[in-house]
Amino acid sequence: MALLMVPLWALTAQAADKMNCLMCHKHRYIGRIDANGKLHNYNVDETMYRHTVHRNIDCHDCHTYITKIPHDPVTQTVNCANSCHIKPPFSQETFSHQHIMTIFNGSAHGRTPEDSDRMRAAKPDCIFCHQNPLYSKISEENLPEAEALRRCQNCHPQGGVIQAFQHIAHRLRKKTTRAPQQIVALCAKCHQDSERMLQLGASPRAAEAVESYNHSIHGKLVRLGSKKAADCISCHASSALHDIYKKDNPKASINKANIAQTCRQCHAKTGDWFIDIAVHPSPIHKDNPIIYLMSLFLQLATYGTVISMVGLMLFETFGRRREGIRLILFNGSSWHRPNKHARPKRG
Amino acid sequence: MEQSLDTGTPKPAPTLDRSMGEDGYYTFVDGVGHIPRDIYKHVQSDPRGDLPRYSIHIVIQHLLIFITFILLAATGLPIFFSDLFWAKHLIDLFGGIDIARWVHRICAFIMMFTSIYHVVTVVGGTIVKLLRHEFDYKRTQIPRLKDLQDFFHDIKYFLGIEPFRPKMEKFMYKQKLHYMAVFYGSFVLMTAGSALLFPDIVAKSIPGLIGKVLPHWVVGNDSYSAFFQDLVRLMHADEAVLALIVLAFWHWMNVHFVPGRFPLQWAFLTGRITREHQIEEHFLEYLNNLREIPEEREYMRDLLKELSLAPREQPASDTILASELSRIH
Repeated sequence: MALLMVPLWALTAQAADKMNCLMCHKHRYIGRIDANGKLHNYNVDETMYRHTVHRNIDCHDCHTYITKIPHDPVTQTVNCANSCHIKPPFSQETFSHQHIMTIFNGSAHGRTPEDSDRMRAAKPDCIFCHQNPLYSKISEENLPEAEALRRCQNCHPQGGVIQAFQHIAHRLRKKTTRAPQQIVALCAKCHQDSERMLQLGASPRAAEAVESYNHSIHGKLVRLGSKKAADCISCHASSALHDIYKKDNPKASINKANIAQTCRQCHAKTGDWFIDIAVHPSPIHKDNPIIYLMSLFLQLATYGTVISMVGLMLFETFGRRREGIRLILFNGSSWHRPNKHARPKRG
Repeated sequence: MEQSLDTGTPKPAPTLDRSMGEDGYYTFVDGVGHIPRDIYKHVQSDPRGDLPRYSIHIVIQHLLIFITFILLAATGLPIFFSDLFWAKHLIDLFGGIDIARWVHRICAFIMMFTSIYHVVTVVGGTIVKLLRHEFDYKRTQIPRLKDLQDFFHDIKYFLGIEPFRPKMEKFMYKQKLHYMAVFYGSFVLMTAGSALLFPDIVAKSIPGLIGKVLPHWVVGNDSYSAFFQDLVRLMHADEAVLALIVLAFWHWMNVHFVPGRFPLQWAFLTGRITREHQIEEHFLEYLNNLREIPEEREYMRDLLKELSLAPREQPASDTILASELSRIH
């Protein structure tokens, strides 16, 4: 019994650390103040780390530039395209995010030689969105099984992986994704700054995409906590998640040729004409003078109606009160009568 | 002015013309007597209503519309104002937005059913009355020129220029206006709501429908369907907010909070109106009541007797009437 217990305990309690990096990095206040006075904290909390997706990866597999201990000051960043020493099931090759990186680099977010310096600086890299969640807590959502299995193939294209996963289906309960609200917040981090987007060459409509999304029914439902409504990547990427292209790119999920198919992921029975409807409606109707005037008219009608009706009611009450009507809670009659059965005066 | 300040007793008729004319102070009803215009200050009223006003169908329809409207507003308003702090809390009362949307659709369906039910009731009732030769368009919601005259008359009364309120039919000017507004509002909300629920059908049919009517510059850079859907998004939300504000700030106040109706007008539950209210605001309908309800005729005759306005011999001519009146007063 004791023999059985020990390996189980060892499996859950220890992160992969062949080079014993934690000898130094386990200390809470290990860090450095740089020339700008900014504090860098290099602490790695083992308890947190062993619950992350990378718990079985040795530090050196990502931080390859570390060749000796104690190491020199780090100048490089990690490269997610590295092959680490994990061997995926049904494969003899070492694992790498190279496949997803290729998709990402070809997307609108990938850096290209034509980009200006400013554009290069603005484009995100992997860790901009995917921090190994050490200190930033992400509230996670359960993903439907079919979608989770499709996502597995992003990194595990080998045949048999899906079957293997279905075989050990209890793992699926652990497969999670970000909440739609968090995805919107993540994209909005850059994309809601419409001035910056315009400077980077976005079209006026694309520059206000976050604002118009928040005014759309999808945006409102996501904000109110819907689990079904579309967030950014529901439409702008396939299940590979990183293949976000501009809409004139034929590979884009929002390209004219593909968009009907994209809508049908949720609006299953819609026809090809469905795509005519703007899914990012202009928030203040400034595009169309007719709709703008209509909006103005309806607002005036609202205020006009209420003010005139309530005004009439108050005026009416004023007039009736002069004749002696009163607010009475009981007895059901509100006219002032000194003597209810008084005989009328003779005229 | 002077007359209206003295509320103690019915006023004597100033002249013969004023007393017996269309706008006269006294109205003679055969077998009842001369009813003074301000008799409403002297009648007994049961708060739960004395005289019939709405059939059971109308009461049921009002209740259905009332309940569904509140639920529709409670599930729709947070979506319109989704960026305000209370929106999420209100939606959570319904068990989350995905359920609240279904509540909204089901309520909308019940409301549409109620509207059809109402139209069937009104049309059917009209046909029955036509067949019995009882139909009188003056007792319906159909607007007339008299409503405009009544409105100005009422304004003069509120200002103190006219001594009494106009003699109005079963539905007065503001009720007719409100009824038309409800008709228009429900039409807009139901059309726009259906367009929002079935965008695919809109996108398919609209270019063919309005594309032939509207010149293309109206829709600008968008397609006809995009233009129509944007219009519908705007109309549904703004019209709903208008309806809600009018109901909350005018309808409820006007019906339950003004003096004479406070603290609650029971008509929407009992379908009956108080005698006091009927005579004050719907005098001509009260005359119909007198004709149709023997008990009411009896009550009014007794009251007039008590007030020494009991029926006398029916006057053979105006001269006799004038002498009669001069003798009484």
